[in-house]
Amino acid sequence: MKKTAWAVALLLATASLGPSTTQATARAAGGRLTLSGAWALYPLAIRWQEEFQKTHPGVHIDVQAGGAGKGVADALAGVADIGMVSREILPAEVAKGAVAVAVAKDAVIATVSRKNPFLDTILRRGLRKEDLAAVWLRRTRGTWEGLLGLTGRTPVHVYTRSDACGAAETWAVYMGGHQEDLAGIGVYGDPGLAEAVRRDSLGIGYNNVNFAYDARTLEPVRGLAVCPIDLDASGAIEPREAVYSTRDDLIRAIAAGVYPSPPARELYFVIKGQPRPLLAEFLEWVLVEGRKYVAEMGYIAIGPERTAAGLAIVRGAAERK
Amino acid sequence: MRLLKDALARRAMGLVAALPALLVLLIVAGLFLKSKAILAVEPLSKLLFSSAWHPLKGEFGLLPFITGTVWVTVTALVLAVPVSILAAIYLSEYAPRWVREGAKPVVDLLAGLPSVVYGVWGVILVVPFVGNVLAPLAGVHSSGYSILAGGIVLAIMTFPTIIHVTLEVFASVPQALRDASLSLGATRWETTRHVVLRKGAQGILAASVLGFSRAFGETMAVLMVVGNVPAVPRSLFDAGYPLPALIANNYGEMMSVPSYDAALMTAALVLTLIVLFFNVLARRILVRVERRVR
Repeated sequence: MKKTAWAVALLLATASLGPSTTQATARAAGGRLTLSGAWALYPLAIRWQEEFQKTHPGVHIDVQAGGAGKGVADALAGVADIGMVSREILPAEVAKGAVAVAVAKDAVIATVSRKNPFLDTILRRGLRKEDLAAVWLRRTRGTWEGLLGLTGRTPVHVYTRSDACGAAETWAVYMGGHQEDLAGIGVYGDPGLAEAVRRDSLGIGYNNVNFAYDARTLEPVRGLAVCPIDLDASGAIEPREAVYSTRDDLIRAIAAGVYPSPPARELYFVIKGQPRPLLAEFLEWVLVEGRKYVAEMGYIAIGPERTAAGLAIVRGAAERK
Repeated sequence: MRLLKDALARRAMGLVAALPALLVLLIVAGLFLKSKAILAVEPLSKLLFSSAWHPLKGEFGLLPFITGTVWVTVTALVLAVPVSILAAIYLSEYAPRWVREGAKPVVDLLAGLPSVVYGVWGVILVVPFVGNVLAPLAGVHSSGYSILAGGIVLAIMTFPTIIHVTLEVFASVPQALRDASLSLGATRWETTRHVVLRKGAQGILAASVLGFSRAFGETMAVLMVVGNVPAVPRSLFDAGYPLPALIANNYGEMMSVPSYDAALMTAALVLTLIVLFFNVLARRILVRVERRVR
């Protein structure tokens, strides 16, 4: 569903680009850049594409979404200049020469239904990392009472993503596994997972920030509640840990490092080897100028030291990652 | 000159006709080449009969996906075939002309709907129906994302194909045969059973095979409702994970990891071979039925 919507958006985007490019190439010595990869980065990349083309007439940027793996494969095969990746780069990919530059952050959060009979307790106590791992990885906690220190036998209905994706992988890495280790009913796409959890009063799932919160009200999507994580494992959610009331609160907490990473995750641009001049210029623009569009698109800007590390890679002065 | 043209035309058309066959071979060969990386290191028996699916750890058991495919397809056909045939009998033998003529375009419209639409509809209606109504009736708990939900959605998707072909088959049964039977005092149902159904038996089988082929490879709609849990299902209310869903879920994200890519190619190869196997089987049955009828 989501992918289809994007595909339509992509078609429209490419169609609308047609005439302006021919004009631009006539005006200045231009160039072409191709981006390919993760759906999670697509909206932000489109924004960057638009802004960069405004200030750099003659440069034409193509953005295609087809999954993180396709992005890496395209970048390594030289079909695309940049692969957009929403998960950690796998060793098999680094071995083939993939170099990753972090460009933004996103986060995955646990979600439960507003109809959950234990909602008050969940919001008061939160779940510890090992509780989450017991649900998704070890499959040793099957009841809500077991998770919340109560007595009773109400089953937990566990949901996960069916499609291989950065969100699931990041969520699994946080608990110490991979997506293929996650238990639960597999639902397709971020919206699908949110819908399944919203409807099942005993369900638990996870979502990207942008799908758990309503972009307009900035509050959690109707019917969905964010399950707080008990970061210090104290058995209660202290004010410091209560960072979920609005999207902006959460984004601030992620930027400040209160919400850990993972499940917050970096989104990468993957290149192969040393970038050519135009590519280097674009990457540098993304890291410096492009920052200001990150927050308004619902992502989180990366910290100054990560930006510096990225710039170092782009300028070729540092060790490759 | 005219003879030359004729020869040329024959050759050209022969070539074009051979193309599909060649294409099938090419596809199988291509998939085989791509999956060699896995086939070389893993014994085939382990690939086909192990249920451990952890590709990043080097475990590539395809059994859950193969059983998932078979479960969903069989469920769909058990639901679809009787209903479709009864519907076709009604439309062809009982319904007044205007109902028949009105129903045909509707059936064809159903066949033309994109499968994503069926998927969305399945998530909105079928999944809650299975989870909140059918599962409690059967005395089990289910989230609704299950083999049964996949089977129901798939059955609805195969109705139009089977109904359409079966209608054509019934239409080809000579009216004179019906008239003869009716004039002997047989009721409409007796006529249908002994004349129309008997005469059309092989056509009905062919219609079901067509539905079967569609059901096996259907990806999107099933993927959205079936639950996608890589374990061998034990009941209709368990989640399943068919082969097409496995490929669609993972290919774009994981194609840059060589072993994962090869595992997905192996899955595609297995799916192709299963479909080929069933098609050949169906052809043989058809041929046999045809001979017996003669």
